[in-house]
Amino acid sequence: MFSLQLIAFGLLTALLAHKRQLSLFLTLVLSLLILAAGIWGLGHPVNAVAASPWLAFTPLRSWFLLVLGIVAVMSSWYRFGYHDHERSTNFWMPLFLVSMMSVILAQNVWVFMTAWESMTITSFFLVVTDHQRSPVLPAGYIYLIMSQLSATFILAGLLIMGSHLHSMNFGRWTAEASTLGLGLKSWIFALLGIGFGIKSGLVPFHIWLPRAHPVAPAPVSSLMSGAMIKLGIFGMMQFLLIDLGPSNRLWPLILLAAGAVSSLLGVLYALMEHDLKRLLAYHSIENIGIILLGVGVMAVGIDWHHPLLISMGLAASLFHTLNHAIFKSQLFLAAGAVEQHTATLDADHLGGLMRSIPGVAIGFLMGSMAISGLPPFNGFISEWLTLRALLLAASHWTGLLAVFALGVAMILGLTGALAGMCFVKASGVIFLGEPRHQVNHRPIPRSMTWPIMGMAVITLALGVAPQPFVHIAGSVDPRVALSAVSFLLPVKSTLLAGLMVLAVGLLTLVSRPWRVREVPRWACGRVPDASMQFTSASFTKAIRTTFALIYRPHRNLSKVGRSADFPAQLLYRGGTVPVWDRYLYQPTYRLVWHMSRQSTRLQAGPVRLYLTYLLATVGLMLLLLR
Amino acid sequence: MLGIAQIVAVLMVVAVSPLLWGITQTVKARLQGRHGPRLGQMYWVIAKTWTKETTVPEYSSWIFRLAPSIGLAAILLAALTIPVGGRVPAGWPHNLLTLFFLLALERFWVGLAGLDSAGTFGGLGASRVSTLGTGVEPALLAACGILWQVSGHTEIAPVASWFATRPLGALPWTLAAVSMGFVLLAEMGRLPVDNPDTHLELTMMHEATVLEYDGRLLALSQVAMTLKFSVVIVLGWVLLGPNLPSIWANLAIRAVEVVLTSVALGWIESRFSKIRYFQIPAYLSLAAGLGVLAFYLIAGG
Repeated sequence: MFSLQLIAFGLLTALLAHKRQLSLFLTLVLSLLILAAGIWGLGHPVNAVAASPWLAFTPLRSWFLLVLGIVAVMSSWYRFGYHDHERSTNFWMPLFLVSMMSVILAQNVWVFMTAWESMTITSFFLVVTDHQRSPVLPAGYIYLIMSQLSATFILAGLLIMGSHLHSMNFGRWTAEASTLGLGLKSWIFALLGIGFGIKSGLVPFHIWLPRAHPVAPAPVSSLMSGAMIKLGIFGMMQFLLIDLGPSNRLWPLILLAAGAVSSLLGVLYALMEHDLKRLLAYHSIENIGIILLGVGVMAVGIDWHHPLLISMGLAASLFHTLNHAIFKSQLFLAAGAVEQHTATLDADHLGGLMRSIPGVAIGFLMGSMAISGLPPFNGFISEWLTLRALLLAASHWTGLLAVFALGVAMILGLTGALAGMCFVKASGVIFLGEPRHQVNHRPIPRSMTWPIMGMAVITLALGVAPQPFVHIAGSVDPRVALSAVSFLLPVKSTLLAGLMVLAVGLLTLVSRPWRVREVPRWACGRVPDASMQFTSASFTKAIRTTFALIYRPHRNLSKVGRSADFPAQLLYRGGTVPVWDRYLYQPTYRLVWHMSRQSTRLQAGPVRLYLTYLLATVGLMLLLLR
Repeated sequence: MLGIAQIVAVLMVVAVSPLLWGITQTVKARLQGRHGPRLGQMYWVIAKTWTKETTVPEYSSWIFRLAPSIGLAAILLAALTIPVGGRVPAGWPHNLLTLFFLLALERFWVGLAGLDSAGTFGGLGASRVSTLGTGVEPALLAACGILWQVSGHTEIAPVASWFATRPLGALPWTLAAVSMGFVLLAEMGRLPVDNPDTHLELTMMHEATVLEYDGRLLALSQVAMTLKFSVVIVLGWVLLGPNLPSIWANLAIRAVEVVLTSVALGWIESRFSKIRYFQIPAYLSLAAGLGVLAFYLIAGG
């Protein structure tokens, strides 16, 4: 197996960081090899028990390797034109790729945790590439702290599992872990669930995500959002569902609830953002929630012994993992192009970029349609599958449990509609209409546009012909031998796409929209200008008032001028309260700070105090060990 | 045979949709003591608009020019997925979830075109239409849940026959019907959510999104609007109405039903006023809540 050679290749690439072009090229080659390994692994199912004790391919791991490979290839290609010339990125990028690959392929606890930690550290250095800018370093530290917290939980969970199974080999775990007791399984579920949940950015552990992703260079954000946070989902599927098997029946419900809360809150926070990359980061939280809904349905199937639910949940979550990886990195790369083009990401300063960077705009638009789950793109298929899986779960249950499943499906529907609204806003305010401010435009090289367009083509292809991929995704768990294609049949995506192209083409030919005359827009008789357009804040006003309970919006109107009744100018300031920061993290932070201050009383004393401690400890030990 | 029947049925829906619109407008006018337009007025309006010169606002891109085609195409596809006659040929897409996603596709492009028009009204309409969509989708999913409960999947055609052979209890049926009625009223852009007759910026939704359109592109939008109106009515009756073994009998029943519904809509529109925009979420939550209640009764408490 060539996984070790790949790691060596990655280390070599890191050492050549000082030669920019060579390093970029070698990183691209490395990404292509990872992609090839993923495809190869999907074609060669390996018995995990008999595999090598260090690194091994299984169908599930190959699927995630494929996800990583696609995102890595496109991001590495994109870096040829990206303006980031820091040598440190060239150094850390291949290491980051290699450690993500090792996390996926790891076959025992030690390899897994080493790779997991090196993934955290390399991504931290990538996030703080631009460390001279003001919010970058604090954002990086928050990310590091949250990641360490996640690693602690994961290590605790894995060690408990390992000590009870008397083995650190994941192959053995897959074979034996389902025999553990239910109480022990619940402990493992809680520890690993929190650990992986932090890494994948589930609410309420999401606070690092909208901080770290926007400050990182675009290819890094694309990799983190497209591939890295998926590894949390990978861990949950591998250890909690496939390895542990049936556990306490409360856990699937918790997974579903967590998925619903994350998806809804993620998209709601995204709607209020006008920084494009922060908006996309919140959408990652939303999509992780949607993936988790599929995982939850799979868990329901495992606990209630319902093979159709297992394979539907599996297909829905894995396919959405792939789809989200592709369209999210497509969107992040497009956001990076917008930033390089205009030097800003604030939507309310932009507008009309469709004319200056049409390729990026089309790529972003197609990504927007995909992430909003619209036909004929891939997001449509996976949201459709997830909804169907949830409705199947609802019909499997009765009474309040059924209502719970329907409620989750309805929240997913609401999330989809809100995501559509958010991306109408993002694409509309940034790429359409009239420019809101005059900004200097820097041209975008082809090597940045092509990867975005390439991703767009993949999202379209996966939406038009999803059957082979859904088939692979649904059969990743060898214990469920159901064909996943059968429940995908009614969607008829290929036929729908064909009919849609036909209808749109005919209607366009008939209506001849190229033979039109341009006239000034209607402005009630005034001279139209750019400030008449809706901004991202005004576009989402109704959502802000409808969900006031969640946003806690505030506004402040101050009058400038001598007369109070006839002010010369009105100043409006509005915003929303970052609820989790204010009510969960800041109190926790203050508590920890307070406790560490209190502990200085014990610690920062004179030498004789320490001697007293020593004496007291020795005395206590003598007393206890008597 | 089935395929021909289905295509004929969909073509019929397309052909009569301006007429249904006309019926509603006429009934409304008569109830308000006006003479009102002719029944076929909408055909003339569309034909007249089509022959006018097509203008687009400056700063708009090809999105604005393409949006009416995509919007109408999405509604047409949605119409194709409805088994108007109660049955469809094997392999025909007739999935309720797909239908809702197609309606979302139309809404997405209407919103994009609104923002692309670079004016205030476009953005206003886009914002309102999108906001309305966020309230409609959960309620529609409640309907999906009910259908799944009674049939085991989300395909529409077998569901329709299920209603014929083993009808729902009276109470769940009523709740589901009221819930669907509420949400479909909102989806078709009629009172009490949107008023298609108004041109006052405080109240309009759909009108704001098409304000900058003209000529052939406006005509496409008008066709899409009337088609969506009748598609939504037909969908409601296919899901809730009776279903006979004969397709042609079903088509005849559908025809009677949609005409009666258009008359009823005219009556509703002259009896009720439009609710405030900021109260629409409450209205749609009520629809969704009724749907969940119906679902609970069917799922067995």
